[in-house]
This record gives sequence, structure tokens and C-alpha cells, in this order.
Amino acid sequence: MFELPTTEIGGDLLYATGFGDIVEYFTVYTTLLLVFAVVFTLLAVFARPERQVDIAFGGDAFYTKDIQKDDLRFQRFIAIACGIATMGALISGDVFNFTLFCAMIGITNIGIVASYRNKYVLETAYEYGIVAMTATVPLFGAAAIILATTGTLSMWVLFTEAVTVPLIAKILLLVGVMGEGMAPFFIGKAEITRAPGAPYVLMIHVSSLLIFLRVVEILLSM
Amino acid sequence: MIPDVSLYMVGIGVAFVCIIISFIALVRETEDLHRLLLTDLTEIICLVIIALVGTDLAEALILPGIVVGLAELLALSEVYLRKEGAYRLPKDTFHIEIMDSAPLILVVVLVGYGIILSGFTGGVVAGVGVVFYFMCQGSEERFELIETISGYAWALWIVAFFVFMVLPQYWFFGVMLAGSAILVKVMAKMALVGVMGGESDV
Repeated sequence: MFELPTTEIGGDLLYATGFGDIVEYFTVYTTLLLVFAVVFTLLAVFARPERQVDIAFGGDAFYTKDIQKDDLRFQRFIAIACGIATMGALISGDVFNFTLFCAMIGITNIGIVASYRNKYVLETAYEYGIVAMTATVPLFGAAAIILATTGTLSMWVLFTEAVTVPLIAKILLLVGVMGEGMAPFFIGKAEITRAPGAPYVLMIHVSSLLIFLRVVEILLSM
Repeated sequence: MIPDVSLYMVGIGVAFVCIIISFIALVRETEDLHRLLLTDLTEIICLVIIALVGTDLAEALILPGIVVGLAELLALSEVYLRKEGAYRLPKDTFHIEIMDSAPLILVVVLVGYGIILSGFTGGVVAGVGVVFYFMCQGSEERFELIETISGYAWALWIVAFFVFMVLPQYWFFGVMLAGSAILVKVMAKMALVGVMGGESDV
């Protein structure tokens, strides 16, 4: 019933299910990414958080940072939500759904570090949040321009030869995803990693990385 | 597809100019809180771009766009509050600022509109205004006056029915009497029901 227009980029089509003109689909590529996302989400579900140790400089003294139970619960919830949003972005066959999932990843990424009381972490999370918020402009803007020029948002149709997506929309989409999942770039500031709780903070990077890989696939196929 | 392409191009040009202006503002601003407000401005322009498409689908896309924007704004506000240590829990959780400023003008508008509507509907509209006023401003439960007025209004309503039956040539007077009497009665009843707090002397 469904047939992918090109199998050169994402590999063979494994499974597709349609909701009207929105077709969620799995190729070899997206399935691999999905497995990755599922593994890390399960890690966030079951793993215990790391406990950071600070060594006092020039002596033998050290102190460990305890994580309170409320913070732990909140972080774990947000990390799982982030994982689910990532999975949604990976299998989504609709450009607007993809952008929505990306925006949700941006929100949950802020949320994961937001419960810490460390001033540096909060400062960085705030800057990240500002960028993520402004990034929704190119993100949704790209989706709107695609809809305006081609008349559809279904990737299934957009991937065909007959439909050409304007270059500006592709660029805006890329910029938007870069803004939402910007952890790999922004980590240069490094403050966000002061936040303790390894499996949850890792989720920030995993989700960003995965939506990058996905948006590359989308942009090449369009 | 867009039916009117040239108009769309003009619209998207204006939107892009707005985006550039708001981004320049965002770059120049250094105060954290103001930057947060400016990001909200950019989000609104994003909605404008979606709205320019002007189809039913675009209309359906605006809603999730707003929701996502609001969610991000809320999350960032929480981060900002925590960052600045500006947390102060309100003493009375069901008291927000608008409840101090809005009631007077709202009650004037609603009661005025209720009088224009008159009849049962008008009574309900005006009653909502009065209930809102009492809820916001607080009230002491001494309602004898309202109860009395309500009683007289009900009596006038009945009088109006007698006018209809006995003196049908004065139907206009009867309509007016019934309309205003039921307005006052419903308004008074709603006001009573809305603010009864279960004090001991009621």
C-alpha cells in the first residue's frame, strides 16, 4: 500500500501506518535511531543517578552532592518525556509533527536541568531556553512555508520528485532544529554539565543528536 | 496552495522584516526579563507566518504553535524565577492581580449589557457580573435588601402577567414590566447563590 519514493537515503521501508495523509513510517535508518532512543529512555527509567564528588583543592577532603528525591523524580519524568518526544520526532511522517516534537525536545531539555539550584546551571539553562524559544520561529516558519508552497505537510508527498521544496524552507528547518537541539554546540559553555545526574543530563545530548540525524535524512530526501 | 500569491509574498516580506526587527531587539537587550518578553514577541511573528497560509490546515496548526510557545514561556519563566531566587508563594492562592482591577469595570459592562438584553438572559448576564464583583471584592452576608428587592421584582413580574390577561391593550407596558422585573429577580438570585459562604447568620 505504501511505497517510499526513494530508498537511497533512509534504506528500505520496513513498516508504514497511515492516519489519513499523515504516514508514520520506519526505514532501516530511522529504526536504528529509534532503537537508540528506546535504549536511552530505558536507561533513564531504570538507572540510578550519578552522585558527583567534588575534591577540595590542595587537600584530601572531598564532598559528594546528594540529589533530593523530589528533584530526582522531576528529572526522571522530564528525561522520559524527552525520550518519548525524540521517538515521536524519529518516526513522524509529517513535517509539522516533526517540528512540534523538536520544540517539545527543546522544552524538556530545559526542564531536565531546571530543577537544580546551582546558579551557573540555571544561568546556562536560561540562555539555552531563550535560543530554543527563538528557534521556534524558523522551525514553524519552515513548516508554514512548505505548506504554503507545496500545499501539503506529508513527507510522503514531499519526498516525491514531483514536489520541490524551496531552499529557504530547508535552510529554516535546519536552523530551527539546530536551535532546538543545540546541546552539542552550546555545550562549549560547559556549565550545563555541572548539573549532576548522569543518565538524565545525557538525555539532552542523545535527543539533540538523534533529531539532527533525522533532519539530515528529511532534508536530503525532500 | 495559496490562492493569491502576490499578497502572500507581501505578507511574508512584512513578517520577515518584523522578525529581523525583533531579533535585533533581542541582540541589543541585555536585561534578562526583557529578553524573555522579546522572545514571546518573536513567537507571535512565527504564528503570523503560519497564519499567512490562510487555509483551514493553517488554522489548525496555529493552536499547537501557541501551546508550544506558551509552554516554553512558562518553563523559562520558572527557570528565571528560580535563577533570580524570586520565589514568594502567594498568601491567598485564589487571588490574582486582575481581581483587584477588573471587577468594577466588568460589573458595569455586564450589568449594562444585561439591562439591554433584559428578561431572563439579561438577568443571568448581569448576575454573573454581580457574582464576579462579590467574589473579587468580598462581601458580608447581609442580603436582606437584595432578598427584598428580589421579592418585589417577582411580584411585579406576576403583575405584568395580570396586565397581559386583564388589560391586553397595555401589552407593551406588560412586556417592559416583565422584562425588567425578571432581570432584577434573576440577577438578585444569582448574586445570592454565588456568594453564600455559609456564614452562621444566613
